[in-house]
Amino acid sequence: MIEITLVVNGDRRSLRVEARRLLADVLREEFDLAGVHIGCAQGSCGCCTVHVDGVPRLSCLTFAVQCDGKSVRTVEDIGGPAAEHALQQAFRRAHALQCGYCTPGFIMTLAPFVEAMATENRLPDENEIRDAMSGNICRCTGYQGIVEAVRQAIAERIGTGAPA
Amino acid sequence: MTTAADRPRHVGARVERIEDTRLLSGGARYIDDIRLARMLHLRFVRAEMAHARILGIDIGALGDLQHPTRVFTGADIGGLAIKAHQDVPEFQYSEQPLLARDRVRFVGEPVAAVLADDPYIAEDAAELVFVDYDPLEVVASMEAALDPASPPLFDGWNGNVFVERQMKGGDIERARAAAAHIIRRTYSTHRQAGVPMEGRGVVARYDPADRFLTVWSSTQIPHLVRTYIAEELGFPEQRLRVVAPDVGGGFGVKGQVFSEEVLVAWLALETGRPVKWIEDRREHLLASIHARDHRHTLEAYVAADGRILGLKADISVDVGAYSTFPFTAAGDPGMAAKVMPGPYDFQHYEATFRALATNKCPIGTYRGVGRPSAVFAQERLMDDIADELGIDPIELRLRNVVRVFPYTNALGFTYDPGSYAECLEKARELLADDIAEAASLRGHPERRVGVGIACFIEQSAHGTPDFTRRRVPIETGYIAARVAMTPDGGAVVDIGLQSHGQGHETVMAQVAADALGIAPGDVHVRHGDTLTTPYSVGTWGSRGGPLGGGAVHVAASEIAEKLRAIAAHLLQASEREITLGGGRAFVTAAPDRHIPIARLTRAALRNVDRLPKGMAPGLEAQCSLDGPRDGTYSNAVHAAVVEIELATAKMRLKRFIAVEDCGRILNPLVVDGQVRGGIVQGIGSAMFEQFVYDEECQPRTVTFADYLLPLAPEIPTIEVHHIETPTPLTPLGAKGLGEGGAIGPAAAIANAVADALEVPVSSTPLNADALWRLINR
Ligand code: FES
Ligand code: FES
Repeated sequence: MIEITLVVNGDRRSLRVEARRLLADVLREEFDLAGVHIGCAQGSCGCCTVHVDGVPRLSCLTFAVQCDGKSVRTVEDIGGPAAEHALQQAFRRAHALQCGYCTPGFIMTLAPFVEAMATENRLPDENEIRDAMSGNICRCTGYQGIVEAVRQAIAERIGTGAPA
Repeated sequence: MTTAADRPRHVGARVERIEDTRLLSGGARYIDDIRLARMLHLRFVRAEMAHARILGIDIGALGDLQHPTRVFTGADIGGLAIKAHQDVPEFQYSEQPLLARDRVRFVGEPVAAVLADDPYIAEDAAELVFVDYDPLEVVASMEAALDPASPPLFDGWNGNVFVERQMKGGDIERARAAAAHIIRRTYSTHRQAGVPMEGRGVVARYDPADRFLTVWSSTQIPHLVRTYIAEELGFPEQRLRVVAPDVGGGFGVKGQVFSEEVLVAWLALETGRPVKWIEDRREHLLASIHARDHRHTLEAYVAADGRILGLKADISVDVGAYSTFPFTAAGDPGMAAKVMPGPYDFQHYEATFRALATNKCPIGTYRGVGRPSAVFAQERLMDDIADELGIDPIELRLRNVVRVFPYTNALGFTYDPGSYAECLEKARELLADDIAEAASLRGHPERRVGVGIACFIEQSAHGTPDFTRRRVPIETGYIAARVAMTPDGGAVVDIGLQSHGQGHETVMAQVAADALGIAPGDVHVRHGDTLTTPYSVGTWGSRGGPLGGGAVHVAASEIAEKLRAIAAHLLQASEREITLGGGRAFVTAAPDRHIPIARLTRAALRNVDRLPKGMAPGLEAQCSLDGPRDGTYSNAVHAAVVEIELATAKMRLKRFIAVEDCGRILNPLVVDGQVRGGIVQGIGSAMFEQFVYDEECQPRTVTFADYLLPLAPEIPTIEVHHIETPTPLTPLGAKGLGEGGAIGPAAAIANAVADALEVPVSSTPLNADALWRLINR
């Protein structure tokens, strides 16, 4: 057992974990964050994506001990219980989700992409958007709604310059 | 309450989904999110050999763990099994034991269940269980299954055919005699898996205080799971609750009763502690259920002008080692044989179909069930006929499609009105430029373009008679809904469906809201829980919209009648004059004379002294709606435009178009999502996904690194066009549409490849390897 400190969605907590415990399991079990989903536990589907120090990471391929002292953010912290982040709202409008199982992973992968494009003040073309989500699998939507949601969210951010 | 801003009609509008906020914010609760005090975690030891006798199971090494564990094997569970029998004399009976007894029949079959209070420890423990196998000869292919020299998979069996039967109508010999052309071809589709992003999982808890057993399962069919568990365990069904929490995709894969569901329930009773099993991805690919492993030989009898006179089919499906519940081993071959006449008008048909047992994972239901394979064969055949007769493929189809409705086909199934020819015409118009481009690149040294279409119908929302005919253990095809209003003017809808992405919470709310004159946001839809919802078959066979929506409409309309009567009484008008809408009841001709619906519900539930004399209190109604005898028939044309680079065999899907008709559209947002999602699964079937076994039936594709799902960059924008032909057979005119998207793509893409390369294509997958062979044949 190793003692680590994690700052999860702003909540700093010290805990003792086995070296082999996956970040995904620790977030789900110790922090009760059900938005962290496991789709494959093999690093191929992106369902488990969270941010570690602001960077999207696969929490099924990350040990919790590797995140000692780091800050972790999950979908629960992106737009709150009402899902108010521009990307979440665009997901709703564009029907970018069906069963919702892949959805937190897509949001965590794509929210930084939306921010980056907004900062560059640039609306990417469809291929760029599809490339940005090539590490995430959605089995329900056929991706089109997700592409559209990303486009809408970026367009809106460029148009209004609203903060995340 | 948002009733004031309510829109008059919600059905047919692009209403955003009510469930999305929960799903987007991490607020959803899927099976793995269920955590109970004192819970034990289950890990399976699964067979590593495809066919072997179990000589012994050694758990001696578990002591090394220094952690309490318990192990159950086939010897502990008595005769408990999945029993999926088709009640016809030809069917060879078999059972799938919950844990293998003496013998394993496919890699991944559960051999032992290991319980520990931590999932990591349970996994460690399962790895320490040693199973001693004595290998048996493996039955690895359809040929082997048909070979009388192969060992039967079950004692007492004669060969390895679960069942072989015939279906026929008309006089096939007459069609043959009259034919100017006889065209015979063999087509096959490969084995794959359904792969929802959330795997399966089961949690069970027994409460001795009230002798109540609760089972949570990631299932599409909670009521059927309840009945099966109750029957198999001899547990009183009225004290058994099955809950499907939020479910992360099902696609038919979760429309079975699985051995794990029964076993976990039994273990909770046996151990007295809650038990949880969460399937991992490897287990899912290896041992949930597979699909699509078909081979069809078709012989078409065609007149000189291209009119099909008759069709003879020979259909084999490799259904793996066990019969699955409730559709049995006969499900896929029977479905393929039944739908093979498709959208075409001919009266002579004969099919022989068989289910073959091999040492592979069992075949079960996956989006489209048998129809993607049948349509692949049927629509490749149409192109092969067109080619042989020198007729344009769309023209050939136009000469053959049914145009007069209702139409009764050779097998006696009656099709409700559709738009088969209109969809073809529309597709032809949309494809004109691509057809010209394909023609201009014929013989091009570097690249080719091909256009392919698939025209098909989709039987959906089938009613009870369809299952009675099939003699499978699913005896009915109905959905029940109960609607109850609350004193504040809202409504609760309890429906015997289960939503795993279809948007039932929204669509059912739209339907109820329209009938009751309130807003969808004021309707709370509950589903997936046998405690709160009326008994129904669950979500499969594309029955949610037509039958679920229909049942909600009928029940809500009954309540609306009563609301109108109360309003008439309070407004001193006649009942016929009252309209419900915008959260109010008003006199149609004088909208100023109105009363809030909340006042009516309050009168019916709280101030019943205000009701008309003699009227009973309460605002509740229930409707059980059976599907039409032969179901409803949605129709569609799928079109693919592919570009192939000859040097590398790289194929790009340039365009994919769907022109579809699912009758009355309840929510276009949801319909387009279902169509597109299904199509991308179909593209996966055609080009990427393949479950591979070697000659010893050892699986080769148990991770997403080997089993390739379509990713965003490979998928083009899917163009969806609608034609709306409401059916007279369901209350709202809606037909089923959940599966259609997945049915056409393999055929359309194969036809496009055949067009591009000017070679016949007879099988899937159409991956780079297959294309390389087609180019260099
Ligand atoms: S669960 Fe982590 S990538 Fe699939
Ligand atoms: S919405 Fe179901 S997997 Fe993406």
